[in-house]
Amino acid sequence: MVLTDLGARLHGALNQLSRASVVDDKVIDALLKELCSALLESDVNVKLVSSLRTKVKNKVKRNLEEAEKAGGKEVNKKNVVQKAVFDELVALVDPGIEPYKPTKGKVNVLMAVGIQGAGKTTTCTKLAVHYQRRGFRTCLVCADTFRAGAFDQLKQNATRAKIPFYGSYTETDPVAIASLGVEKFRKERFDVIIVDTSGRHKQESELFEEMVAISSAVKPDMTIMVLDASIGQAAEGQSRAFKDSADFGAIIVTKLDGHAKGGGAISAVAATRTPIIFLGTGEHLNDLERFAPQPFISKLLGMGDMQGLVEH
Amino acid sequence: WSGIFSRLTGSKVLSKQDLQPVLAEMEKHLMDKNVAKDISEKMCDSVGAALVGKKLGGLSSVKSEVQSSLSSALTRVLTPKTSTDLLLDIQRKRSASTVSYDNALPDPYTLTFVGVNGVGKSTNLSKVCFWLLQNGLRVLIAACDTFRSGAVEQLRVHVRNLGALQDELGVGEKKVELYERGYGKDAAGIAKDAITYAKENKFDVVLIDTAGRMQDNEPLMRALAKLVTVNNPDKIIFVGEALVGNEAVDQLTKFDRALKDFSGAGTGGGQRKRGIDGIILTKFDTIDDKVGAALSMTYVTGQPILFVGCGQTYTDLRQLRVNHIVQALLN
Ligand SMILES: Nc1nc2c(ncn2[C@@H]2O[C@H](COP(=O)(O)OP(=O)(O)OP(=O)(O)O)[C@@H](O)[C@H]2O)c(=O)[nH]1
Ligand SMILES: Nc1nc2c(ncn2[C@@H]2O[C@H](COP(=O)(O)OP(=O)(O)OP(=O)(O)O)[C@@H](O)[C@H]2O)c(=O)[nH]1
Ligand SMILES: [Mg+2]
Ligand SMILES: [Mg+2]
Repeated sequence: MVLTDLGARLHGALNQLSRASVVDDKVIDALLKELCSALLESDVNVKLVSSLRTKVKNKVKRNLEEAEKAGGKEVNKKNVVQKAVFDELVALVDPGIEPYKPTKGKVNVLMAVGIQGAGKTTTCTKLAVHYQRRGFRTCLVCADTFRAGAFDQLKQNATRAKIPFYGSYTETDPVAIASLGVEKFRKERFDVIIVDTSGRHKQESELFEEMVAISSAVKPDMTIMVLDASIGQAAEGQSRAFKDSADFGAIIVTKLDGHAKGGGAISAVAATRTPIIFLGTGEHLNDLERFAPQPFISKLLGMGDMQGLVEH
Repeated sequence: WSGIFSRLTGSKVLSKQDLQPVLAEMEKHLMDKNVAKDISEKMCDSVGAALVGKKLGGLSSVKSEVQSSLSSALTRVLTPKTSTDLLLDIQRKRSASTVSYDNALPDPYTLTFVGVNGVGKSTNLSKVCFWLLQNGLRVLIAACDTFRSGAVEQLRVHVRNLGALQDELGVGEKKVELYERGYGKDAAGIAKDAITYAKENKFDVVLIDTAGRMQDNEPLMRALAKLVTVNNPDKIIFVGEALVGNEAVDQLTKFDRALKDFSGAGTGGGQRKRGIDGIILTKFDTIDDKVGAALSMTYVTGQPILFVGCGQTYTDLRQLRVNHIVQALLN
C-alpha cells in the first residue's frame, strides 16, 4: 500500500539528509519534493499533497526554532525533520477514530456501499468468512437488484463459503429485500448480518436516495465504504458524497494484490475522517487482511533509526 | 515586471525561466484532472521544449501561450491514429472472406474484451452488442470468464434482455445468443468453440468476455495471451475505467506487453504479435471533469478510445469527443 512504497523512498531521502552537512531549506525542500512526488504517483489527492507539504515545512521550521531555543546548538535537526514528516504521514492514514467492532450475543448489521465494481460483493463474502472463522454466526443479504447476475454472484460465493444467504430473483425493490432479509436473520439470532448493495455514484441522486432508504430500513451498526485501490483523483469527491449520504464508519480498500498504491483511498480517509479496517488482496475468499493504522505505521517505521520517532 | 513590459512591446523571447513556473502549475493542474503524474510531466516537458526560444506574439502572455500549445498537444495525443469505424471493419472482413472462398461460410468478426477486475468489461460488451444489433448484425456472446462467481449468469441476463428488446422491435430471426460452458473450464478453448459455432450458424460478430485480472499476475496474463494466440481475434479491446489514476499507465503497459510477450508463439509461426488494438473508457459518468484517464490511456498505447461508457444501460455508449476532453482538461 501507499506507505510501504513511500517508506522505502523516504528512507532514501532521509539518508541523503543524514549525509548532508547542513540541514538548510534546500535540503528540506529536496526531501519534501521527493515525498510529494511519491504521494502524487500513488494517487493521493493533489490538494492534500500541497497542504501536507506546507504543514510539514511549517512544522519543521517551528520545531527547529523551538529546539534551538531549548537545546542551543546541539539540536539533531535530522530527527526534527523526520519526526515532522512521519507525524503527518500517520495523520494521513489514522483519523484517530475507533471503528465499530461486532460483538457476540447481539445482532450486528453491516452494510457495504461503494462505486460500481469496487469489490463490494466479493468483500462481503470475505468479511462473512472472516467473522465466521472467529465464531460469529454470520449471514449475507443481497440487496443488489440492479446488476445483472448480482444474486447469482453472491449465492455462488456464499454457497462455496457455506454462509447462509438471502435474496430474490423476482423482487425488484432493494429496500424490501434488505428489510425482509435482515428481519429474517434477526429473528434467527445471527450475530453478523452483512448487507450487499448495488454500485452507485454521486452524480446519480436517485441511486443515493435508494442507498439512504436501504440504510434506514436495516439500520446498520456499521456501514462500510468499499474502495478500489486504483482510484485516482475522483476518490475524494465520491467518498465525501457517500459519507454525507450513508455516513459510513469504516473503509475497506480492495485489489491491493495488484500494483496500485491506494493513495486515492488514503485521500478518502483524510476527506471523511474514517478509518480503514481491512484490505482486500485477491479474488479468493481468504484474501482479506486486517488493517489498523498504528501497527501499520510502526511496521513501516520499524526500520533502523526510525523506531521511536512516533512515540511521543 | 520585466514580463509585463515585454508583453506590451511584444518582443519577448521565451526562456526556460519564464516557462518553468507556468509549466509547473500546468503539470499540477493536469494531475488534479486525474492525468497520471508521469504523463503530466511528459506533456508539459514537450510543450516547454517546443516553446523555448519562441517569440511571444502580440498581446499573449506566457500562460496563454503554454495553454494553446498544450491544447494542441493534448488534441494530438487524443486524436485516433487508426480507424475507429468498427462497422466498416466488420463489413470489410465479411466481404473479403466471401470473395476469397466462394461458397464457404464467412468468418465471423471477433472482439475480445480484456482488463483488470471490475472495470466494466461484461457490461460494456453488452452495450457494444446492443449497438451491433441495432446495426443489423447477428452477435454471439462467448462467456469466457469461467472464474468469477455469477459471470455466466450476468451475461445470460444481458442476452435475455437484448433478445427481448429485439422481440419488441419485431425482428423475426434470433439475432443474439450466448455461448457458454459453465465455470472452471479453459477460456481459450471455449472461445475457439464459440467462433466455430458462430461460423456454422452464420453469426456476424463474436464478442468474447474474459475474466478480470491484475496486470502483474503472470499465470493469468499467460492464460489471456493463450486465448489471443489460439483465436487471433480481429480486435483486442482494453476496457479501462475513467476512475483509475496513475495505475492507468501500468495497466495498459503491462497488458500490452504481456500479450505481445506471451502470445504469437507456436501456431502458424508467422502470426504477428498481438497487443491492444483499442480502448473502451468506462464509468465516464462518475468523474465530473476529472477526465485525465482518457489522456493517460491514449498516451501510453497510441491506440484509440473506440467507445466511452457513460452509464449502466445499453444505450450508455458514446464516441469520444476529443474537444470535450481537451476543454475539460484545460478548464
Ligand atoms: N485482484 C482482486 N480482485 C478483486 C478484489 N476484490 C474484488 N475483486 C474483483 O473485482 C471484481 C468486482 O468485484 P465485485 O465484488 O463484483 O464488485 P462490486 O462492488 O460488488 O460490483 P457492483 O456490484 O457491480 O458495483 C471481481 O472480478 C472481483 O473478483 C481484490 O482484493 N483483488
Ligand atoms: N456508472 C457506470 N457504471 C458502469 C459503467 N460500465 C459498467 N458499470 C458498472 O460497473 C460494475 C462492474 O461492471 P462489470 O461489467 O461487471 O465489470 P467487469 O470488468 O466485467 O468485472 P469482472 O468481470 O468482475 O472483472 C457494474 O455495476 C456495472 O453496472 C459505466 O459506464 N458507468
Ligand atoms: Mg456487487
Ligand atoms: Mg465481467
